[in-house]
Amino acid sequence: MNASDLPHFAPSNRLSYLLQYELIGRTVLRVQRWNDARKLAAYRPQADDPLTPPLRCVTRMKELMSRHYLEGRYAAGVRPVAWVTSGAPTEILKALDFFLIYPENHAALCGARRKAEALCIEAENAGYSRDLCSYGRTDIGTVLSGKTPVGRLPRPDLLLCCTNICQTVLYWYRTLADYFGVPLVVIDTPFLYGNAQPHQVAYVKRQLEDLVPVAERVAGHRFSEQRFREVVRHARRGAELWLEIMDRSQHRPAPMTAFDGFIHMAPIVDLRGEAVTVDYYETMLAELDERVRRNIGAVRNERFRVLWDNLPIWFRIGPLSKMLALRGVNVVASTYTYAWGELAPLIDESKGFESMANVYLHPILNCSAGHKLRAMQRMVKDFHIDGVILHSDRSCKPYSLGQMDQRERLVAETGVPALLLEADHSDPRSYSDQQGEARLEAFIETMEAAA
Amino acid sequence: MMALPKRPTGADHWTDAGRSPMPSRKDALRRMRDAGYRIAAVLPIYYPRALLRACGFHPVEVWGPVRVDSRGGDLRFQAYTCAIVRNAISLLSEGKLDPADVLLVPHTCDALQGMGSVLGDFVKPHQRVLTLYHPRRGGPAAVSFLVDELRRLQQELSEHGGREPTDADWDEALRVEADADAALAALYRDRVRLPLTDREFYTLVRAREYLPPDEFAALASGVSRGERPQPPGIPLMLSGIVCEPMEVFDQINSVGGRIVADDLACGYRRVYPPVADGPPLERLARALLGAAPDPTRGSPIAERAAALTQRMRETGAKGLLVYDVKFCEPELFDLPRLRAHLAAAGFPMLHVEHELTPAVSQQTLTRVEAFLETLQ
Repeated sequence: MNASDLPHFAPSNRLSYLLQYELIGRTVLRVQRWNDARKLAAYRPQADDPLTPPLRCVTRMKELMSRHYLEGRYAAGVRPVAWVTSGAPTEILKALDFFLIYPENHAALCGARRKAEALCIEAENAGYSRDLCSYGRTDIGTVLSGKTPVGRLPRPDLLLCCTNICQTVLYWYRTLADYFGVPLVVIDTPFLYGNAQPHQVAYVKRQLEDLVPVAERVAGHRFSEQRFREVVRHARRGAELWLEIMDRSQHRPAPMTAFDGFIHMAPIVDLRGEAVTVDYYETMLAELDERVRRNIGAVRNERFRVLWDNLPIWFRIGPLSKMLALRGVNVVASTYTYAWGELAPLIDESKGFESMANVYLHPILNCSAGHKLRAMQRMVKDFHIDGVILHSDRSCKPYSLGQMDQRERLVAETGVPALLLEADHSDPRSYSDQQGEARLEAFIETMEAAA
Repeated sequence: MMALPKRPTGADHWTDAGRSPMPSRKDALRRMRDAGYRIAAVLPIYYPRALLRACGFHPVEVWGPVRVDSRGGDLRFQAYTCAIVRNAISLLSEGKLDPADVLLVPHTCDALQGMGSVLGDFVKPHQRVLTLYHPRRGGPAAVSFLVDELRRLQQELSEHGGREPTDADWDEALRVEADADAALAALYRDRVRLPLTDREFYTLVRAREYLPPDEFAALASGVSRGERPQPPGIPLMLSGIVCEPMEVFDQINSVGGRIVADDLACGYRRVYPPVADGPPLERLARALLGAAPDPTRGSPIAERAAALTQRMRETGAKGLLVYDVKFCEPELFDLPRLRAHLAAAGFPMLHVEHELTPAVSQQTLTRVEAFLETLQ
């Protein structure tokens, strides 16, 4: 790395950051939350609304995420900035006070706000094939056009790519590295066809150790072991709380839907390792416990409980949630949201990088197709599932390849119907509402027949 | 186990400038089995040939052949999965991989990851399914990891019908594979002096996928070298994972192109650098990690572009023809930046896709022809 790779911390940037973000921005967002909370408290759903009112904590979540992206607009030149994959070992960078952008989360946000298609087209016009992951295309479209619903993304000083979710991120981040001309650190996590072997853990641990000097150089200061342990402690507590939150939906009726989970998972992805995330999930858990005590379900008339496999269809979350709820279907669990909590027991701040290596080797996407089938079978039992929807996600091959066998085994071994639903997590051009609804209707009829 | 036959028995005819049929896979496989070797069917791309050989296995590679009924693959994998995987699964379900004793599925990409996982967890064929993880980065950590990973593979091969290699086994395996690698490198080096058409050249290069190494080395070294007039056609470099069907070479020739270099995963990317020192597994690891830049191994795009540019200059190629299997993410992600780097160096690029079917579409050929016109 040479001097030109290092971020430049300019006093004018600092002033803008303090004024626009710290002083004005945060205040405006706080006021906006109070307004949102007042409106939500006054909200009375119509009698025929199949869903109960949203969780009250959603206003706080919106504030946290808006604040995060607002800070991003002013972070360049004030804090070192890294763009990271969702499964990256960010605790090391957090301990060095990096500001982190998660392009996958940003792409999901673009998908949910129906901005992804236009950004994908920007990338396609530059030569990126429509067969590539729509998160990747959305991100590259943002980089090439500068367009984003969050105002502006800060230019990265460092790219951190961990292959524990897919190999796609490796190709995508190589592209970003070539475009931005900044250092790319790859944390290469061997895929686990079976149990993790000592040499696999050692390989990842060594790469984590190698990351430190590179990140120190970009940050311009030394790594603090004490701060690292604090971040890991928060990461563990946040993941534990998220897992508890997911597990509350084992209650019948489930106090939230997996669609709620897709929205509320943003802090555990983007703000992992922060105290504010722990606070937020404590609040959310308390609200869910209150719902459980009062027997309030997220779907008014919960008749069928469904497990969702794979990423959500971001651009159809609302309509799908409502369409299913109208028929008494509550999607109570998902393998995707669960993935952000299930590794909590492996996190051990006293064991440092060894523990991290073990954690970052074990996301569900880095484990075999059989492992995922067993996880789904457990969830069918624990969540009292009546049917499974496997989203065959054209953009996520590691999640989707294997689903045809998994579907067959689920039906044969658990006795619940299972549907393979062809779609894409962000690109609406790869999903047909009419066909999707028709298949979902048939699926619900199958559950009804089995009831 | 019997020793390898010292003299090739099927290759001699082919050295007469490629006019006689190339020894077939079936023939090579039968002879190796008769010689006491077990058979490993190996999926793309990188794997340690000498390790398999030292353990008593003969590797035969499966690059998703074009002439296969794809229904078997369609039953297990979605339509957006690359044809190499779907065709290989189809081949397996048709029983055409039955002669293999083990299946080795290197972790090359998400599609092959899915294939290895589904084979091991759900299909459970009669052959043992083995995997190999190739590091996505370089440096000491990668070498050390790959050595351990090769040691694990060696143990599994030994447990599944192979032998625990002795020093003599290692010496023999490393020697014959190094000779074959050197013969392959020499073919590329001497390309312009060989009396072979493009199709014959790549038929010979790809014979490395199944012939015994000494037989391949004899065959490759036996092709006469000499000064010869360059055949007509605009010189091109060819890139991608695998170029199938083989007729495509004739068709490129027929529209006015000729292939003078390649960046094919089944071709030049596996011309390994010679590594002569160190313990066997470390030598193999260093050779595998030292191969030409490849997106599946995480090589930086600029590094890949520089290597391509250098070879295009050396061979006189006027443009790059990228002939990709559809849905190949590692290749597709690189293209726009690769195009930009090559354009800066003065080399145009054309990208076309195929689905590993027996015929090349007329539209593809028309595009190639139009590309060649721009290079005149």
